Amino acid sequence: MKTRRWVVSMVAAIGLLTAISAHGQAAKPEGTLTVAVATFGNERWLPHLYVGAEDVVLKPMYENLLTRDPKTGELAPMLAERWKVADGGRTWSFYLRKGVQFHGGRGEMTAEDVKFTFNTIAKDGSANSLAPEFRLIKSMEVENPYTLTVRFDKPFVVFGNKVNQGLFASVAFIQSKRYVETAKDDGAERLPVATGPWKFVEHVRGDRIVYEAVENHWRATPHFKRLVFVKVPEPSTRMAMLRAGSVDVIEVGGEYADELKQVGVRTLLMPNTSWLYIILGGQWATKPTYDPKVPWAQPDAERARKVRMALNLAVDKQAIVQRVLGGLGTVMGSWLMYPSDPWASDALKKPYPYDPAKAKALLAEAGYPSGFETTMNLTAWPGRGFLPDVGEAVATYWEKIGIRVKRRPVDRAIFAADFRARAYSGVALAYASPLVAPEPWEVLYRAGYTKAGLCLFVEQPKLDEFIDRLAGQPNYTERLRIMRDEMGPWLSEYVPGVAIGAAHTIAGLGPRVGDWPVIPGHMGFHNWEYIGRAR
Amino acid sequence: MWRYLIGRVLQTVLSMLVVISIVFFLTRLSGNPIHLLLDVNASERDQQILMHHLGLDKPLPVQYGLYVRNIFLGDFGNSVLTRRPVTEHIWERLPATVELGLVAMLLSVLIGVPLGVYSAVHRGGTLDGAARVFAVLGQSMPTFWLGLMLILLFGVVLRLLPAGGRGGIEHLILPAFTLGYFTSAAILRLTRSAMLEVLGSDYIKFARLKGLHEQVVLWKHGLKNALLPVVTFAVMLFVQFLGGAVVTETVFAWPGLGRLILESITTRDYPIVQAGVLVLSALYLTGNLFVDMLYSYLNPRIRHARA
Repeated sequence: MKTRRWVVSMVAAIGLLTAISAHGQAAKPEGTLTVAVATFGNERWLPHLYVGAEDVVLKPMYENLLTRDPKTGELAPMLAERWKVADGGRTWSFYLRKGVQFHGGRGEMTAEDVKFTFNTIAKDGSANSLAPEFRLIKSMEVENPYTLTVRFDKPFVVFGNKVNQGLFASVAFIQSKRYVETAKDDGAERLPVATGPWKFVEHVRGDRIVYEAVENHWRATPHFKRLVFVKVPEPSTRMAMLRAGSVDVIEVGGEYADELKQVGVRTLLMPNTSWLYIILGGQWATKPTYDPKVPWAQPDAERARKVRMALNLAVDKQAIVQRVLGGLGTVMGSWLMYPSDPWASDALKKPYPYDPAKAKALLAEAGYPSGFETTMNLTAWPGRGFLPDVGEAVATYWEKIGIRVKRRPVDRAIFAADFRARAYSGVALAYASPLVAPEPWEVLYRAGYTKAGLCLFVEQPKLDEFIDRLAGQPNYTERLRIMRDEMGPWLSEYVPGVAIGAAHTIAGLGPRVGDWPVIPGHMGFHNWEYIGRAR
Repeated sequence: MWRYLIGRVLQTVLSMLVVISIVFFLTRLSGNPIHLLLDVNASERDQQILMHHLGLDKPLPVQYGLYVRNIFLGDFGNSVLTRRPVTEHIWERLPATVELGLVAMLLSVLIGVPLGVYSAVHRGGTLDGAARVFAVLGQSMPTFWLGLMLILLFGVVLRLLPAGGRGGIEHLILPAFTLGYFTSAAILRLTRSAMLEVLGSDYIKFARLKGLHEQVVLWKHGLKNALLPVVTFAVMLFVQFLGGAVVTETVFAWPGLGRLILESITTRDYPIVQAGVLVLSALYLTGNLFVDMLYSYLNPRIRHARA
């Protein structure tokens, strides 16, 4: 079964790469593609220094070992032309593509570079969001310049998703060992070097990043000669710059969708880029910050569940998607699943209904006929500026069933400390998880697994059991079955928070931008090298 | 005179020390940068390593002592985000801010002073009324709104000027006008009232009686004396432009110092915020000192009174 899937993946990937290569080599790079984004993230370039929010601006020049098939979402080759999983997921061997060169004549990419990158991600003090996963590596062996074998103590069946270009925050971008060791961190950050279709030209912090096309790149030669990112924090200015022709692509929120339509600006829809929900803080009974008086986390599991269900039924999610997200979303009841996911069955896709009367009845059954007091944190996260509005809307719906909600606008830097320390019992907040892993249990591994999750928002032995089973299951079909038939229904019944659903994003496009193939479910801009020039 | 100047310089240094202290402690009350530098799943050990690396694990008084000592040694530290010297970042942004500030001030003066003079000379006339409307509009329109309207008109509808970013002279026009309009209105009002006062004085009457040409009376004898408060105001305005142009810089995506400080506040990049505020307060206090000295020089009565 595994072999068949591997063959299918390889055929699909080769087909895709052939199509893309033909697409990419259609013309010599010409002109400049200027892109206005709200943020560059932390503007770091080395694997132990970037957190992940830099994804949009790093992706043009860096590459990973693997990517995802845009049609099926399955793993596909990138710097590794093939890979092999053995020993039930404990051993991963990557066979690298020969002849891939680092920019500026800095030599060929080899297994030593991959090993160096993985070690850098895992080193002490690393800011990289995948550091915990890369620290699970037991050993790495460079078999020959083009083969690296990575070994784990326990099965790591989805390691391929951690070295993947086709997901948000592709944090395992391969770096040149020799260059970074010679130039040191400071030099390598001033003049970053990679293997991608765009090479670094200039970086003025907080202002612009300039790339130039690599002609005859092994994978895809860009259509534009230059790619310029400008940081424009004000969305109205980004819109005006696009309409004035100063930029070709803008990052823009769903709240501007109607306005873009009215002024006739073309948009690119990127579906299912994050999963939107309300975290109900305090569901961590074994932690010192646990507060048994929090209605949704009280020791009486059934009463707590009724409260959480009431909080779901009280909210008109469709109205939130329409009004706050500008219609850019799909309401769903399943947890951390997108409508297109194979494990999202029809039953799981069905949202929790909007039924305030039943919500009030459930609250009364749970012992809160007059409601209770709670706090809604209104915190904005990078790229998800709509979250405080979602929190505000949910708070308003809760007030209609008698819950007294105190709004607390709080900066992310302040809240992050509480988030890490799980010091927000009884506090709710709107959150949108980008797709950092295709299988929902991989996200729950961080958010709801007591043995690994550091900022977990829900702690439940049954969830641990599911994650243990899924993490050790090398057979994809069996994992799919567990997610669809067991874990999904259990989560829907358990109601860990208020499910809203999948959020989409859009980009505004200028007249010079042609075709732009994107990977479904990928949050943030990507595939810069495949953007065509409009005729 | 020297005693007075030394006293003013000492006052300036003391004021800067107060500013440094306030900024140092306020930034630390606003949250810890490691929460933004590390992923939410970062381990306790990773947090401790970074805290140690950034010197944030030391007690606050020790951090403060080191900070003040380093400033006196000319070391503003490294950005917590980029780990590059803070001075490098400030120098990177200062030219854009000075460029915008200078052009905005020039526009303010070129618009405000002639209109103010004209308005005073033709007091009560149609053009005086128009100039006053111009002044009221300039002082009542919010900068961000005016900026966006100008972008829409000149950038989107007419396509005459770029909608944002920094580049050639054409990129400067809209942000400089946006920034300068408010102050040109203030300069207009100030020039008008100063001119009205001067034009009513005895020495102007005497100059006219002497048979001097009206233009000479106005521009040489009238304006020269009316300009003293205007010059003071313009110098302080320029210093304010350097740090207070955050809204204009944001609306026009202008990579200036104000925006750098604002962004550094949101990322808790303490060293940049501290150094940025220090540079701006130094400029402000130096500007104040310069104006004081200018006053003493231009107006002997002030000099003698202080002596």
